[in-house]
Amino acid sequence: MKPLCKIAAALAVGLLPLAAQAHAMLDHASPRVGSTIASAPKELLLWFTEKLEPAFSTAEVRNAQGAVVSGKAQADRSDGTELRVPLKALPPGTYTVTWRVLSVDTHRTQGSFTFSVGP
Amino acid sequence: MSNRYVYAGLCGLAAALVCNPARSHEIVGNRMFPATLVIDDPGVADELSLPTVALYRTGDDPSAKELDISGEYSKRITEDFAVSFSPTWTHLYAPGGPNGVGASGFQNLETTFKYRLFKNEEHEFVASVGLNIEWGGSGAQDVGADSLTTYTPTAYFGKGFGDLPASMTWAHPFALTGQVGYAIPSSSATVTVDPDSGDVDTEFNPRVLVWGASLQYSLPYLKSAVADVGLPDFVNHLIPLVEASFATPVSNTSTSGTLTTGTINPGVIYVGKEFQIGVEAMIPINRQSGTNVGVIGQIHFYLDDIFPNSLGRPLFSNSIASGRPNP
Repeated sequence: MKPLCKIAAALAVGLLPLAAQAHAMLDHASPRVGSTIASAPKELLLWFTEKLEPAFSTAEVRNAQGAVVSGKAQADRSDGTELRVPLKALPPGTYTVTWRVLSVDTHRTQGSFTFSVGP
Repeated sequence: MSNRYVYAGLCGLAAALVCNPARSHEIVGNRMFPATLVIDDPGVADELSLPTVALYRTGDDPSAKELDISGEYSKRITEDFAVSFSPTWTHLYAPGGPNGVGASGFQNLETTFKYRLFKNEEHEFVASVGLNIEWGGSGAQDVGADSLTTYTPTAYFGKGFGDLPASMTWAHPFALTGQVGYAIPSSSATVTVDPDSGDVDTEFNPRVLVWGASLQYSLPYLKSAVADVGLPDFVNHLIPLVEASFATPVSNTSTSGTLTTGTINPGVIYVGKEFQIGVEAMIPINRQSGTNVGVIGQIHFYLDDIFPNSLGRPLFSNSIASGRPNP
Protein backbone atom coordinates (compact mmCIF):
# COMPACT_ATOMS: atom_id res chain seq x y z
CA MET A 1 0.00 0.00 0.00
CA LYS A 2 1.38 3.40 -0.89
CA PRO A 3 2.18 5.72 2.03
CA LEU A 4 -0.54 8.27 1.31
CA CYS A 5 -3.07 5.49 0.85
CA LYS A 6 -1.94 4.09 4.20
CA ILE A 7 -2.56 7.41 5.91
CA ALA A 8 -5.88 7.85 4.16
CA ALA A 9 -6.89 4.37 5.22
CA ALA A 10 -5.91 5.11 8.81
CA LEU A 11 -8.01 8.25 8.75
CA ALA A 12 -10.91 6.43 7.19
CA VAL A 13 -11.02 3.68 9.79
CA GLY A 14 -10.50 5.96 12.74
CA LEU A 15 -6.82 5.56 13.42
CA LEU A 16 -6.64 1.80 13.63
CA PRO A 17 -3.11 0.64 14.35
CA LEU A 18 -0.86 1.05 11.37
CA ALA A 19 1.32 -1.82 10.26
CA ALA A 20 4.57 -0.25 11.37
CA GLN A 21 6.91 -0.19 14.35
CA ALA A 22 7.43 2.95 16.37
CA HIS A 23 10.17 4.07 18.71
CA ALA A 24 11.01 1.70 21.56
CA MET A 25 9.83 3.61 24.62
CA LEU A 26 10.02 2.62 28.25
CA ASP A 27 6.68 1.08 29.14
CA HIS A 28 7.39 0.21 32.75
CA ALA A 29 10.17 -0.98 35.01
CA SER A 30 10.80 -3.10 38.08
CA PRO A 31 11.56 -1.46 40.49
CA ARG A 32 9.06 1.16 39.32
CA VAL A 33 10.25 4.53 38.08
CA GLY A 34 10.66 6.86 41.05
CA SER A 35 9.72 4.22 43.63
CA THR A 36 11.26 3.41 47.00
CA ILE A 37 11.57 -0.26 47.84
CA ALA A 38 12.38 -1.81 51.21
CA SER A 39 14.72 -4.58 50.05
CA ALA A 40 17.36 -4.40 47.36
CA PRO A 41 16.43 -6.10 44.07
CA LYS A 42 18.82 -8.57 42.45
CA GLU A 43 18.05 -7.32 38.98
CA LEU A 44 16.44 -4.42 37.18
CA LEU A 45 13.81 -5.20 34.56
CA LEU A 46 12.87 -2.76 31.83
CA TRP A 47 9.97 -3.33 29.43
CA PHE A 48 9.75 -1.35 26.22
CA THR A 49 6.91 -0.70 23.84
CA GLU A 50 8.70 -2.18 20.82
CA LYS A 51 11.14 -5.00 20.12
CA LEU A 52 14.81 -4.17 20.58
CA GLU A 53 18.01 -4.87 18.72
CA PRO A 54 19.86 -6.72 21.53
CA ALA A 55 23.35 -5.84 20.34
CA PHE A 56 22.60 -2.10 20.45
CA SER A 57 20.44 -1.92 23.59
CA THR A 58 21.89 -1.36 27.01
CA ALA A 59 21.24 0.04 30.47
CA GLU A 60 23.27 0.71 33.57
CA VAL A 61 22.65 1.69 37.17
CA ARG A 62 24.79 4.09 39.18
CA ASN A 63 24.72 4.95 42.86
CA ALA A 64 24.69 8.47 44.31
CA GLN A 65 28.48 8.65 44.04
CA GLY A 66 28.35 7.82 40.35
CA ALA A 67 29.76 4.31 40.63
CA VAL A 68 28.31 1.63 38.38
CA VAL A 69 26.47 -1.00 40.42
CA SER A 70 25.07 -3.06 37.58
CA GLY A 71 26.30 -5.80 35.29
CA LYS A 72 25.86 -6.24 31.56
CA ALA A 73 22.31 -5.73 30.37
CA GLN A 74 20.78 -8.65 28.49
CA ALA A 75 17.84 -8.46 26.13
CA ASP A 76 15.26 -11.20 26.53
CA ARG A 77 15.38 -12.77 23.09
CA SER A 78 12.11 -14.65 23.48
CA ASP A 79 10.14 -11.56 24.32
CA GLY A 80 12.17 -8.99 22.45
CA THR A 81 10.91 -6.01 24.41
CA GLU A 82 12.62 -6.67 27.75
CA LEU A 83 16.01 -5.75 29.15
CA ARG A 84 17.39 -7.50 32.26
CA VAL A 85 20.14 -5.77 34.22
CA PRO A 86 21.87 -7.72 37.04
CA LEU A 87 22.58 -5.64 40.14
CA LYS A 88 25.24 -5.83 42.83
CA ALA A 89 24.09 -5.86 46.45
CA LEU A 90 22.57 -2.40 46.84
CA PRO A 91 22.79 -0.65 50.21
CA PRO A 92 20.09 1.92 51.03
CA GLY A 93 20.33 4.91 48.75
CA THR A 94 19.13 6.44 45.51
CA TYR A 95 20.12 4.89 42.18
CA THR A 96 20.01 6.31 38.69
CA VAL A 97 19.10 4.12 35.75
CA THR A 98 20.24 5.18 32.28
CA TRP A 99 19.02 3.24 29.28
CA ARG A 100 19.80 3.53 25.61
CA VAL A 101 18.14 1.22 23.11
CA LEU A 102 17.70 0.66 19.42
CA SER A 103 14.34 -0.53 18.17
CA VAL A 104 14.04 -3.00 15.32
CA ASP A 105 12.96 -0.14 13.05
CA THR A 106 16.37 1.51 13.76
CA HIS A 107 15.14 4.36 15.97
CA ARG A 108 17.39 5.21 18.90
CA THR A 109 15.82 6.18 22.20
CA GLN A 110 17.28 6.95 25.56
CA GLY A 111 16.16 7.95 29.00
CA SER A 112 16.88 7.89 32.68
CA PHE A 113 15.10 7.64 36.00
CA THR A 114 15.80 6.95 39.64
CA PHE A 115 14.63 4.51 42.30
CA SER A 116 15.56 4.23 45.95
CA VAL A 117 16.33 1.43 48.35
CA GLY A 118 15.59 2.13 51.96
CA PRO A 119 13.11 2.04 54.78
CA MET B 1 -8.45 56.24 8.87
CA SER B 2 -11.69 54.51 9.67
CA ASN B 3 -12.17 51.90 12.34
CA ARG B 4 -13.27 49.54 9.59
CA TYR B 5 -9.76 49.46 8.11
CA VAL B 6 -8.21 48.98 11.53
CA TYR B 7 -10.50 46.09 12.30
CA ALA B 8 -9.95 44.52 8.89
CA GLY B 9 -6.19 44.61 9.31
CA LEU B 10 -6.23 43.31 12.84
CA CYS B 11 -8.69 40.59 12.00
CA GLY B 12 -6.44 39.54 9.15
CA LEU B 13 -3.60 39.20 11.62
CA ALA B 14 -5.76 37.21 14.00
CA ALA B 15 -6.87 34.94 11.18
CA ALA B 16 -3.27 34.42 10.11
CA LEU B 17 -2.42 33.33 13.63
CA VAL B 18 -5.20 30.78 13.64
CA CYS B 19 -4.73 29.55 10.10
CA ASN B 20 -1.01 28.88 10.23
CA PRO B 21 -0.88 25.12 10.79
CA ALA B 22 2.91 24.69 10.73
CA ARG B 23 3.79 22.51 13.69
CA SER B 24 6.12 19.64 14.43
CA HIS B 25 7.41 17.49 17.28
CA GLU B 26 10.89 17.19 18.72
CA ILE B 27 12.81 14.73 20.91
CA VAL B 28 15.60 15.95 23.17
CA GLY B 29 16.95 13.40 25.63
CA ASN B 30 14.20 12.37 28.01
CA ARG B 31 11.88 14.99 26.57
CA MET B 32 9.40 14.79 23.73
CA PHE B 33 8.01 18.15 22.70
CA PRO B 34 4.68 17.38 21.03
CA ALA B 35 3.42 19.17 17.95
CA THR B 36 1.54 22.15 19.33
CA LEU B 37 -1.64 23.30 17.62
CA VAL B 38 -1.24 27.06 17.34
CA ILE B 39 2.42 27.94 17.63
CA ASP B 40 5.23 26.00 16.03
CA ASP B 41 7.51 23.98 18.27
CA PRO B 42 11.29 23.92 17.77
CA GLY B 43 11.24 20.53 16.09
CA VAL B 44 12.45 19.35 12.71
CA ALA B 45 10.70 16.13 11.71
CA ASP B 46 8.87 14.14 9.06
CA GLU B 47 5.23 14.54 9.90
CA LEU B 48 1.73 15.24 8.72
CA SER B 49 -0.99 17.27 10.39
CA LEU B 50 -4.27 16.29 8.80
CA PRO B 51 -6.62 17.78 9.54
CA THR B 52 -6.41 20.82 11.76
CA VAL B 53 -9.90 22.20 12.26
CA ALA B 54 -10.62 25.55 13.92
CA LEU B 55 -14.03 27.11 14.54
CA TYR B 56 -14.29 30.56 16.06
CA ARG B 57 -15.86 34.00 15.66
CA THR B 58 -13.73 36.62 13.97
CA GLY B 59 -12.90 40.06 15.33
CA ASP B 60 -14.57 41.71 12.33
CA ASP B 61 -17.30 44.28 12.81
CA PRO B 62 -19.80 42.67 12.52
CA SER B 63 -18.27 39.44 13.75
CA ALA B 64 -18.74 36.27 11.70
CA LYS B 65 -18.24 32.59 12.40
CA GLU B 66 -15.22 31.13 10.59
CA LEU B 67 -14.27 27.53 9.92
CA ASP B 68 -10.68 26.71 8.93
CA ILE B 69 -9.59 23.27 7.78
CA SER B 70 -5.88 22.96 7.19
CA GLY B 71 -3.08 20.50 6.76
CA GLU B 72 0.67 20.50 6.91
CA TYR B 73 3.24 18.17 5.43
CA SER B 74 6.79 18.48 6.70
CA LYS B 75 9.73 16.72 5.09
CA ARG B 76 13.28 16.54 6.39
CA ILE B 77 15.88 17.21 3.77
CA THR B 78 18.72 16.50 6.19
CA GLU B 79 18.63 15.46 9.85
CA ASP B 80 18.41 19.13 10.89
CA PHE B 81 16.68 20.85 7.98
CA ALA B 82 13.06 20.50 6.87
CA VAL B 83 10.58 22.08 4.50
CA SER B 84 6.85 22.16 5.14
CA PHE B 85 3.79 23.08 3.10
CA SER B 86 0.55 24.28 4.65
CA PRO B 87 -2.70 24.84 2.76
CA THR B 88 -5.82 26.11 4.57
CA TRP B 89 -9.43 26.11 3.40
CA THR B 90 -11.73 28.69 5.00
CA HIS B 91 -15.49 29.02 5.18
CA LEU B 92 -16.91 32.32 6.39
CA TYR B 93 -20.51 32.22 7.53
CA ALA B 94 -22.81 35.22 6.96
CA PRO B 95 -22.39 38.10 7.63
CA GLY B 96 -18.78 37.38 6.70
CA GLY B 97 -17.27 37.75 3.24
CA PRO B 98 -17.18 40.74 0.91
CA ASN B 99 -20.96 40.77 0.32
CA GLY B 100 -22.05 39.76 3.80
CA VAL B 101 -23.47 36.42 2.67
CA GLY B 102 -20.46 34.27 3.54
CA ALA B 103 -17.61 32.99 1.43
CA SER B 104 -15.37 29.98 0.96
CA GLY B 105 -11.92 29.41 -0.44
CA PHE B 106 -8.29 28.73 0.25
CA GLN B 107 -5.98 30.98 2.22
CA ASN B 108 -2.56 31.69 0.77
CA LEU B 109 -0.29 28.67 0.66
CA GLU B 110 2.48 28.75 3.25
CA THR B 111 5.94 27.25 3.07
CA THR B 112 8.31 27.02 6.02
CA PHE B 113 12.03 26.28 5.96
CA LYS B 114 13.40 25.31 9.36
CA TYR B 115 16.89 24.49 10.59
CA ARG B 116 17.73 23.04 13.99
CA LEU B 117 20.63 25.06 15.36
CA PHE B 118 21.30 23.48 18.72
CA LYS B 119 20.20 20.57 20.83
CA ASN B 120 21.34 19.67 24.37
CA GLU B 121 19.89 16.40 25.60
CA GLU B 122 21.08 16.73 29.20
CA HIS B 123 19.29 20.04 29.64
CA GLU B 124 16.39 19.20 27.32
CA PHE B 125 17.02 22.35 25.30
CA VAL B 126 16.63 22.89 21.57
CA ALA B 127 16.75 25.97 19.36
CA SER B 128 15.89 26.40 15.69
CA VAL B 129 15.50 29.14 13.12
CA GLY B 130 13.16 29.27 10.18
CA LEU B 131 11.63 31.29 7.39
CA ASN B 132 7.89 31.18 6.74
CA ILE B 133 6.64 32.42 3.40
CA GLU B 134 2.98 33.17 2.77
CA TRP B 135 2.65 33.23 -0.98
CA GLY B 136 0.56 36.29 -1.84
CA GLY B 137 -2.18 35.85 -4.41
CA SER B 138 -2.29 32.07 -4.09
CA GLY B 139 -5.51 32.18 -2.06
CA ALA B 140 -8.99 33.66 -2.39
CA GLN B 141 -9.42 37.32 -1.49
CA ASP B 142 -13.05 36.65 -0.52
CA VAL B 143 -11.81 34.85 2.60
CA GLY B 144 -9.15 37.43 3.39
CA ALA B 145 -6.13 36.00 1.57
CA ASP B 146 -3.67 38.78 0.91
CA SER B 147 -2.32 39.67 -2.50
CA LEU B 148 1.05 40.36 -0.86
CA THR B 149 3.69 37.79 -0.13
CA THR B 150 4.82 37.88 3.51
CA TYR B 151 8.20 36.70 4.76
CA THR B 152 8.50 35.80 8.45
CA PRO B 153 11.94 34.89 9.79
CA THR B 154 11.36 33.14 13.09
CA ALA B 155 13.35 31.80 16.04
CA TYR B 156 12.08 28.82 18.06
CA PHE B 157 13.12 27.28 21.35
CA GLY B 158 12.10 24.47 23.69
CA LYS B 159 13.22 23.82 27.25
CA GLY B 160 12.26 20.95 29.52
CA PHE B 161 12.58 21.31 33.27
CA GLY B 162 13.93 17.82 33.92
CA ASP B 163 17.30 19.24 35.00
CA LEU B 164 15.87 21.10 37.98
CA PRO B 165 17.18 19.94 41.38
CA ALA B 166 15.96 16.63 42.78
CA SER B 167 14.06 18.57 45.44
CA MET B 168 11.82 19.88 42.63
CA THR B 169 10.85 16.62 40.95
CA TRP B 170 7.24 17.82 40.88
CA ALA B 171 8.34 20.37 38.27
CA HIS B 172 10.37 18.03 36.07
CA PRO B 173 7.47 17.15 33.72
CA PHE B 174 6.98 20.83 32.81
CA ALA B 175 8.36 22.27 29.59
CA LEU B 176 8.25 25.63 27.87
CA THR B 177 8.39 26.29 24.14
CA GLY B 178 8.27 29.58 22.30
CA GLN B 179 8.68 31.40 19.04
CA VAL B 180 9.37 34.96 17.92
CA GLY B 181 8.97 36.01 14.30
CA TYR B 182 8.98 39.23 12.33
CA ALA B 183 6.48 39.31 9.45
CA ILE B 184 7.62 41.48 6.54
CA PRO B 185 5.14 42.09 3.69
CA SER B 186 6.57 42.35 0.19
CA SER B 187 5.05 45.80 -0.28
CA SER B 188 4.80 48.61 2.25
CA ALA B 189 1.42 49.86 1.01
CA THR B 190 -1.60 48.78 -0.98
CA VAL B 191 -3.36 51.41 -3.09
CA THR B 192 -6.92 50.90 -4.29
CA VAL B 193 -9.06 53.14 -6.50
CA ASP B 194 -12.83 53.20 -6.16
CA PRO B 195 -14.14 52.57 -9.72
CA ASP B 196 -17.24 54.70 -9.13
CA SER B 197 -15.94 57.71 -7.26
CA GLY B 198 -12.32 57.55 -8.32
CA ASP B 199 -11.26 57.94 -4.70
CA VAL B 200 -7.81 56.62 -3.93
CA ASP B 201 -7.30 54.69 -0.71
CA THR B 202 -3.91 53.79 0.65
CA GLU B 203 -3.52 51.08 3.24
CA PHE B 204 -0.11 50.65 4.79
CA ASN B 205 1.00 47.08 5.39
CA PRO B 206 2.58 46.85 8.82
CA ARG B 207 5.54 44.77 9.85
CA VAL B 208 4.32 42.51 12.60
CA LEU B 209 5.96 40.79 15.55
CA VAL B 210 4.50 37.27 15.70
CA TRP B 211 5.18 35.69 19.05
CA GLY B 212 3.89 32.95 21.27
CA ALA B 213 4.65 30.27 23.81
CA SER B 214 3.36 27.04 25.30
CA LEU B 215 3.60 25.68 28.84
CA GLN B 216 3.23 21.89 28.97
CA TYR B 217 2.96 19.24 31.66
CA SER B 218 3.94 15.85 30.24
CA LEU B 219 2.36 12.83 31.90
CA PRO B 220 4.42 10.52 29.63
CA TYR B 221 7.50 12.20 31.07
CA LEU B 222 6.14 11.78 34.60
CA LYS B 223 5.70 8.05 34.09
CA SER B 224 8.96 7.23 32.34
CA ALA B 225 11.40 9.65 33.98
CA VAL B 226 10.03 10.89 37.32
CA ALA B 227 7.55 8.58 39.03
CA ASP B 228 5.33 5.78 37.76
CA VAL B 229 2.42 6.36 40.11
CA GLY B 230 0.12 3.81 38.50
CA LEU B 231 -2.15 6.15 36.58
CA PRO B 232 -4.47 4.63 33.96
CA ASP B 233 -2.74 4.00 30.65
CA PHE B 234 -4.85 6.58 28.82
CA VAL B 235 -3.85 9.29 31.30
CA ASN B 236 -0.18 8.40 30.90
CA HIS B 237 -0.42 9.53 27.27
CA LEU B 238 -1.76 13.03 27.98
CA ILE B 239 0.03 16.36 27.86
CA PRO B 240 -2.12 19.19 29.25
CA LEU B 241 -0.89 22.54 27.99
CA VAL B 242 -1.63 26.20 27.50
CA GLU B 243 -0.62 27.90 24.29
CA ALA B 244 -0.58 31.63 23.66
CA SER B 245 -0.16 33.22 20.24
CA PHE B 246 0.01 36.94 19.51
CA ALA B 247 0.64 39.42 16.70
CA THR B 248 1.79 42.97 17.35
CA PRO B 249 2.20 45.51 14.52
CA VAL B 250 5.46 47.30 15.20
CA SER B 251 6.27 49.45 12.17
CA ASN B 252 4.49 51.07 9.21
CA THR B 253 1.43 51.09 11.45
CA SER B 254 -0.27 54.35 10.42
CA THR B 255 -3.39 52.55 9.14
CA SER B 256 -3.21 49.30 11.09
CA GLY B 257 -2.57 50.64 14.56
CA THR B 258 -0.36 48.80 17.03
CA LEU B 259 -2.94 46.78 18.91
CA THR B 260 -1.84 43.24 19.83
CA THR B 261 -4.22 40.49 18.81
CA GLY B 262 -4.17 36.80 19.62
CA THR B 263 -5.59 33.98 21.65
CA ILE B 264 -4.77 31.99 24.77
CA ASN B 265 -5.48 28.30 24.29
CA PRO B 266 -5.80 25.81 27.14
CA GLY B 267 -6.08 22.22 25.98
CA VAL B 268 -4.68 18.72 25.97
CA ILE B 269 -2.74 16.48 23.59
CA TYR B 270 -2.97 12.68 23.55
CA VAL B 271 0.37 11.22 22.42
CA GLY B 272 0.22 7.80 20.80
CA LYS B 273 2.92 5.69 19.20
CA GLU B 274 2.47 6.98 15.70
CA PHE B 275 0.08 9.90 16.03
CA GLN B 276 -1.24 12.49 18.41
CA ILE B 277 -4.63 14.13 18.83
CA GLY B 278 -5.01 17.57 20.34
CA VAL B 279 -7.88 19.87 21.20
CA GLU B 280 -7.80 23.38 22.64
CA ALA B 281 -10.17 26.20 23.46
CA MET B 282 -9.32 29.51 21.79
CA ILE B 283 -9.85 32.47 24.10
CA PRO B 284 -9.45 35.82 22.32
CA ILE B 285 -7.51 38.42 24.29
CA ASN B 286 -9.62 41.35 23.06
CA ARG B 287 -12.54 42.29 20.81
CA GLN B 288 -10.29 42.56 17.75
CA SER B 289 -9.10 38.98 18.24
CA GLY B 290 -12.56 37.46 18.26
CA THR B 291 -15.92 37.76 19.92
CA ASN B 292 -16.32 34.32 21.44
CA VAL B 293 -14.37 31.31 22.64
CA GLY B 294 -13.47 29.10 19.69
CA VAL B 295 -12.13 25.59 19.43
CA ILE B 296 -9.28 23.97 17.51
CA GLY B 297 -8.52 20.29 17.05
CA GLN B 298 -5.81 18.40 15.23
CA ILE B 299 -4.75 14.90 14.23
CA HIS B 300 -1.02 14.67 13.71
CA PHE B 301 0.99 11.74 12.32
CA TYR B 302 4.62 10.94 13.10
CA LEU B 303 5.76 9.85 9.67
CA ASP B 304 9.18 8.87 10.99
CA ASP B 305 7.42 6.23 13.10
CA ILE B 306 4.90 5.13 10.49
CA PHE B 307 7.41 4.87 7.64
CA PRO B 308 10.81 4.61 9.34
CA ASN B 309 12.57 3.24 6.28
CA SER B 310 11.06 5.35 3.53
CA LEU B 311 8.90 8.46 3.79
CA GLY B 312 9.94 9.09 7.38
CA ARG B 313 13.67 9.40 6.76
CA PRO B 314 15.59 12.51 5.74
CA LEU B 315 16.38 12.66 2.05
CA PHE B 316 20.09 12.93 2.83
CA SER B 317 21.20 11.10 5.98
CA ASN B 318 23.32 8.11 6.90
CA SER B 319 22.57 8.13 10.61
CA ILE B 320 20.06 6.09 12.54
CA ALA B 321 16.98 8.09 13.42
CA SER B 322 16.90 9.74 16.80
CA GLY B 323 14.14 8.63 19.09
CA ARG B 324 11.25 9.64 21.25
CA PRO B 325 11.91 8.19 24.68
CA ASN B 326 8.61 8.63 26.44
CA PRO B 327 5.53 6.40 26.28
